[in-house]
Amino acid sequence: MSGSLLLQSLILGVLLGGLYALLAAGLTLYFGVMRVVMIAHSAFLILAAYLAWWFQGETGIDPLVSLLVTVPLFFVIGYVMQRLLLSRLRPASLTMMSVLLTFAIALVIEGGLGYVFSGTQRRIQLDYSSSSIEVLGANIAVVKLIAFALAGVALVGLWALMKLTRFGQALRATIQHPEAARLLGVNTDRIAGFGFGLGLATAAIGGTALSLDSTIYPSLHWHWIGPLMAIIVVGGLGSIPGAAIAAMVLGISQSLLQIPLGTTWAQTVFYVALFATLMVRPQGFFGGRLAQRF
Amino acid sequence: MIRNRTSRRGAFAATACLALATTLGACGLGSDTASGEGDDEIVIGVSLPLTGDFSEPGKGVQRGYEAWAAYVNENGGLLGKQVRLEILDDQSSADRVASDYEKLINQDGVDLVFGPFSTRLVVPAAQVAEDYGFLFVEPAGAAEEVFTQGFENLFYAAPAIADDHYNLLAEAIIAMPESERPETAAYATMDDPFAQGTAYGLKGKLEAAGIKTVADEVYPPNTTDFSSIAAKIADTKADIVVGGTQYQDAVNLIVALQQLDFQPEMAAFSTAPTNPEFPKAIGSKTEGILSPTGYTPEASYPENQAFVEFYTDMFGNPPSEDEANAWTTGEVVAAAVEAVGCADPSQECQQQLIDHLRDATVDTVVGPLSWDAQGRPESAHLIQQYVDGEIRIVLPEDQAEAELITVKPAW
Repeated sequence: MSGSLLLQSLILGVLLGGLYALLAAGLTLYFGVMRVVMIAHSAFLILAAYLAWWFQGETGIDPLVSLLVTVPLFFVIGYVMQRLLLSRLRPASLTMMSVLLTFAIALVIEGGLGYVFSGTQRRIQLDYSSSSIEVLGANIAVVKLIAFALAGVALVGLWALMKLTRFGQALRATIQHPEAARLLGVNTDRIAGFGFGLGLATAAIGGTALSLDSTIYPSLHWHWIGPLMAIIVVGGLGSIPGAAIAAMVLGISQSLLQIPLGTTWAQTVFYVALFATLMVRPQGFFGGRLAQRF
Repeated sequence: MIRNRTSRRGAFAATACLALATTLGACGLGSDTASGEGDDEIVIGVSLPLTGDFSEPGKGVQRGYEAWAAYVNENGGLLGKQVRLEILDDQSSADRVASDYEKLINQDGVDLVFGPFSTRLVVPAAQVAEDYGFLFVEPAGAAEEVFTQGFENLFYAAPAIADDHYNLLAEAIIAMPESERPETAAYATMDDPFAQGTAYGLKGKLEAAGIKTVADEVYPPNTTDFSSIAAKIADTKADIVVGGTQYQDAVNLIVALQQLDFQPEMAAFSTAPTNPEFPKAIGSKTEGILSPTGYTPEASYPENQAFVEFYTDMFGNPPSEDEANAWTTGEVVAAAVEAVGCADPSQECQQQLIDHLRDATVDTVVGPLSWDAQGRPESAHLIQQYVDGEIRIVLPEDQAEAELITVKPAW
C-alpha cells in the first residue's frame, strides 16, 4: 500500500463521511422529535435526486438550483405527512407502526418514480462531473467537494437553527420533554410537524448532493437505508452531532478498510458497528442522555 | 386444499392473461385452443419477465419474439402454418418461470417453447423443458453455470458465452508487438456470474500471455460508491483496465476513475457502453472505451439486414441486443423445424429437432451459429469502441467499421 493511496483513501473517506452525515441527519431528527422510524427517508433522497436530474435535463440549468424549489417543497410535504398521517398513530405503538407506514410510503415513491421515469438508470451529466483538484498528489473530485460543502452548510445551518432560534429551542424542548414543553406553552404538535418538515428538507439537500455523483434508479433507496440506520444507531438516536460523528468515522473506516479487505468486507463495517453498539452501548456512542429515554 | 391451489393458479393465469390481452391482443384463456390439434397453426410457448427486476430486457425480448413471429407469418409461416406466440409473465421469479413452462407444455399443449430472459430464469425453465423432452433454445443465459447443469436440450442463441465475450480483444492484445503491448492489467468485476465471467475470461488469457494482474477487485451488486475501488486501481497505474460490469457500476466506476485523473492506455467494460444511456451519462469522455457485444444493427449478414428493416418498420427504431437475441432464437428453432419437417410436442419430433441442432450451423442475424455438446455457441462476440464519438465495431477485422485504437485518448 503506497502513501499516496492512503492519503487518497483518507480524503475520499472524509468526503463520503460528510455525505453520510447529511443523509443521516434527517433520519435522526425524526426519531429525536417523535420516535418515528422513517424508512421512507432514503426514498425521499432518491426522489430529490430524480427531481434534480429532471430539472437539469429539462432546463439545462445546474441541478443545485433545483434546491430553491425542492427544499421548501419537501418541508411542506414533511409537515403535511406528520400532521395527516404520523400524528394519528397511537403513541403506544408509534415506533413500530411508523415503520410500517413509512415502508408503505417508500414503496409508493419507488413505484411512482418507476412509473414516471421508468426503471432506466440515470445520471446527471455536468461539465465538471469528472473534474478534480489535485492536493499533495491526491485528487479531490469537484462534485464530491460540492456535496461535502452542501453537507457542511446544511448541518451547520441545522445546528444554528436548533441552538440559536426560538423555534430551535421549542424543538429541543419537544425532544427533551414534551409534557414540560406543553406546560410552557409550546404547541408541540405543530413543532413536531415542523421538525419532521425540517428532516425532510435535509433529504432534499442530501438527494441533490447524491445526484451529482451517482447513477440513480427507483429502487436505489433500499441500498441506503441500512447504512443510514446503522449510522444513527451508532451515533445515538436523536443526536445530530452524534450522527455526524458516526457518519464521519464510518465513512473513513469504510474507505480505509477497502484497501486491505476489498469492497464486500469494507461495506460490512456498518453492520459490525451496529452490532457492537447494540451490545456495548445500546443508546449509541454520542447520543448521551436523550437517546437513553427511548 | 388441492382444489384451492388449482383455483388460485387458475386465477393467476386468468389475471396474467387479462393483463397480457391488452398488450398482445391474444390470449389462450381457453387453453384447448392452444393444443396442436388446430393444424393450421404452430403455437410457441414463452414465459418472460414482463414485470419485476428484469422487465426492461424482458420486454425487449418480447418485442424480438413478436417481430420474428410477424415476419415468419408474412413470409408463408413455418411448414406452411401460421405461428402464434403464447406469452406468460413470470414477474422475474424463478418459481413462476418453472410453473409457467409446466403450464405451457402440460396444460396448454404448445408445440414448441422459446427460452426466457436472464441466467437466473433460464436454468429453472430449461429444467422443465428437459423433463418433458422439449427443445430449449434460449436468448439470455450466457453464464457458464447454464452449461454445467447437464442439459441435453439447451442451445444458447448468441455468438458466445460470457467467458468468451472478450476473446477477440484478447487475441488482438496478444498479437500486438511486445513493445506496444500492455504489461499490467487491473480488473474490477461485479460479484455476478455473467459479469465476472466476462472479465475473468479475458484475465485468464492475458495472464497466460504474461500480462501481469496488478488489481483484482470484486464488488457486490449493490455497491454505490466506486471511488475507493477507483483509487486502488489508479494506484496500480495499470496499462489496461477491464470491467466485468453491468450498467450502473460501469458508469460509476468510469466517472470515479476520471475524477482521479487516471489515464490507462486501454479501458474495456462489458454491457454498459452499448447502452443508449451510456453517452448521456458519461458525456464526451467516452472516446476509446471498448466493449464486447453480441449484436449490431450494422452487421452485414443478409439475415440481419432483413431483420433491421422489418423491426424498424414495426417498432419505429432499430433493434438492440435483447431484440436480436430473441429474433435469433426464433431463427434457430425455425431452421431446425424446416430441416426436420415437424413442429409438435411429441417426443420423436422434439428429439429430432435437438439432434439436428447438435450438428447444424444456422445462419442468423448474429452470424452463423453452431454449438458444443452442452449448448455453448462456438462463435465470438464483436468488440466495439467509441471512435469520434460514435460506437463502432473494431474487431473482428472482417466486420470492422473502424480501426482499433490501442492507446486511448485521455478521458
